[in-house]
Amino acid sequence: MKFTSKKSSEFPFIVGIPAILWQILLFYLPLVLIVGTSFIAISDSGSLEGFTFEKIGVFLNPTYIRVILSSVLLGLANATICFCIAYPLAYFMAFRAHKFKNLLLFLLLIPFWTNFLLHVYAWFFVLERNGFLNNLLKTLGLIQDSIPFMNSLFATMIMMVYYYLPFMVLPIYSSLEKFDYKLIEASLDLGAGRFKTLRRIILPLSLGGIRAGFFLVYIPSFGEFAIPELMGGDKQMFVGSVVARYILGDQTGSLGAAFTVLSSVILCVSSILLYFVLNLIFKRRGSHAVKN
Amino acid sequence: MRSIRLQNLKKRIPEGTVLNDISLHIPAGKFFALLGPSGCGKTTLLRVIAGLESADSGSLFLDDEDITYLPIHQRPINIVFQNYALFPHLNVFDNVAYSLKLKKLPKHVIQQKVLKILESFDLQSHIYKAPSQLSGGQQQRVALARAIVNEPKVLLLDEPLAALDFKLREKMLIELIELQDKLKTTFIYVTHDQFEALTVADQMAIMNKNGDIEQIGTPKEIYEFPVSSFVAQFVGTTNILQGILKNVDANPEISIPDLGTFSLPAQAQKHRIKENCTILLSIRPEKIFISKERNPGFSNVIKGTVQSIVYHGRSTHYNVIIESGMKLQAFEQNEEHFPQQVIDYDNEVYLHWQKENVVILER
Repeated sequence: MKFTSKKSSEFPFIVGIPAILWQILLFYLPLVLIVGTSFIAISDSGSLEGFTFEKIGVFLNPTYIRVILSSVLLGLANATICFCIAYPLAYFMAFRAHKFKNLLLFLLLIPFWTNFLLHVYAWFFVLERNGFLNNLLKTLGLIQDSIPFMNSLFATMIMMVYYYLPFMVLPIYSSLEKFDYKLIEASLDLGAGRFKTLRRIILPLSLGGIRAGFFLVYIPSFGEFAIPELMGGDKQMFVGSVVARYILGDQTGSLGAAFTVLSSVILCVSSILLYFVLNLIFKRRGSHAVKN
Repeated sequence: MRSIRLQNLKKRIPEGTVLNDISLHIPAGKFFALLGPSGCGKTTLLRVIAGLESADSGSLFLDDEDITYLPIHQRPINIVFQNYALFPHLNVFDNVAYSLKLKKLPKHVIQQKVLKILESFDLQSHIYKAPSQLSGGQQQRVALARAIVNEPKVLLLDEPLAALDFKLREKMLIELIELQDKLKTTFIYVTHDQFEALTVADQMAIMNKNGDIEQIGTPKEIYEFPVSSFVAQFVGTTNILQGILKNVDANPEISIPDLGTFSLPAQAQKHRIKENCTILLSIRPEKIFISKERNPGFSNVIKGTVQSIVYHGRSTHYNVIIESGMKLQAFEQNEEHFPQQVIDYDNEVYLHWQKENVVILER
């Protein structure tokens, strides 16, 4: 500790300036502008007319509330499905893959090298009317007529899970990777079966990774724009599409900002709730559990 | 209080440790130590008994019950791990209560049992602490409490004191002995430290590097009457001499080239070795009397020159080069502040020993 503090004092404040400028110009300033425009009334002539809740008020009706709630559900569903797939995968990679660990990690990261749109089009070929999946099901004799997979919530979910999975796997993997396997052995030895060991020892101790994974998936998928637009058609509206529509629309920019602020508040609140729910589910509710 | 019996146990693990056909009886209610060099497979053997590893072949019995295929969590055997493996997210109480909670005992029973055992380990003031807030010795005691609260029939200890400093280790050894005395549980203690093994064990087994058991016996039998040069050298320090056996039937003697003949204990016949065989002798350094003048009261004497002297507080260790060019060690108790004779470097000395204090090794 002493060592690092000494070192940082040798490189004073100056080193941090570019980062701080970057942060201020590209993050805090836009944030202030967005929050500002959503609460400041401007007359047609361009003069300030004071504080208003009017723009936020536009969205406080069932249509838009439903959009926000669907985004919350989309995010939660995506994070949950990702978790269910990612945890066993990360577990396998951390404890069972041995020397193939790094290879699996590499395979997991390969998709990031390819353009996002290519992934989407790849899924088009799989899911479209005469696509791979329909043909496969027909060949197996499971269906007679093609199922319209595309332009549905189903297609959106598939693409969401497909795209966000690594964001769930990586933090869980890194928390399991440094897991002391002796703890698992101790638990088994003390009379816990495999499942109880998972429940009482492994899950609580990898809570950090689980939490990070949930947030890394939940927060961006709440605002996800491209995937629902491309895969879901116009069946279901999510926050991202509404924001895009208003921000890009004529003269509706400040309404877009207001909607952004409203949905961000919901995102914040729901994230905090998520934090506590995760604690409730995964932490061992021991009689005197140690705080971590 | 149950006995453990291993029958023709074989185990090969990828890292190269091997258990070759181990058969071993560990008596009920005894403090049993398994001593061997690092990597000899003693920990693997312990893990097989615990159920953390399965044997490739052979069987494992708890009394007469075959538990070879009993899953680990159903075995009435608990283990204390080398680095304790305390659950970091649970406090001391919950760590100890872990196995009881799994058994779904009523809350007040758990509370009572845990508190009682924590008290007996002098941990009552640390109940709500996380393992990371405890000292090494306290963590060690929590690990012990956690393992015995469940009243296992057999307790396995895998180098449990390796991480403690010397003073604390001595103290914990005494505590372990007293604990075993009180509980009468069968303890199996794995260590590479002969001092620990000799201190705690009622019975001990010595394993060699190849994963074979060389000798089983009480600490005294092992130390005083090692059967092989491996045991003699691994447990304690010793001098090994090689020579030809003579005169087996009357007064057995060993003839060592360049040194002469030395008399052997009368029970040499027991070893079923023949006249003119090459044999190995072990003489413990503390059984050698070193002095500048020849002392006629001993049956065997060798002359030599002191090469080095190491002062150890309660004893002084001399390395002496004898006539054949070999080195022998002799320990002298430092009984007096001002000894009458002072032995110094390069002094000519005589090494004496009684023939009864020599052991003929079988291999």
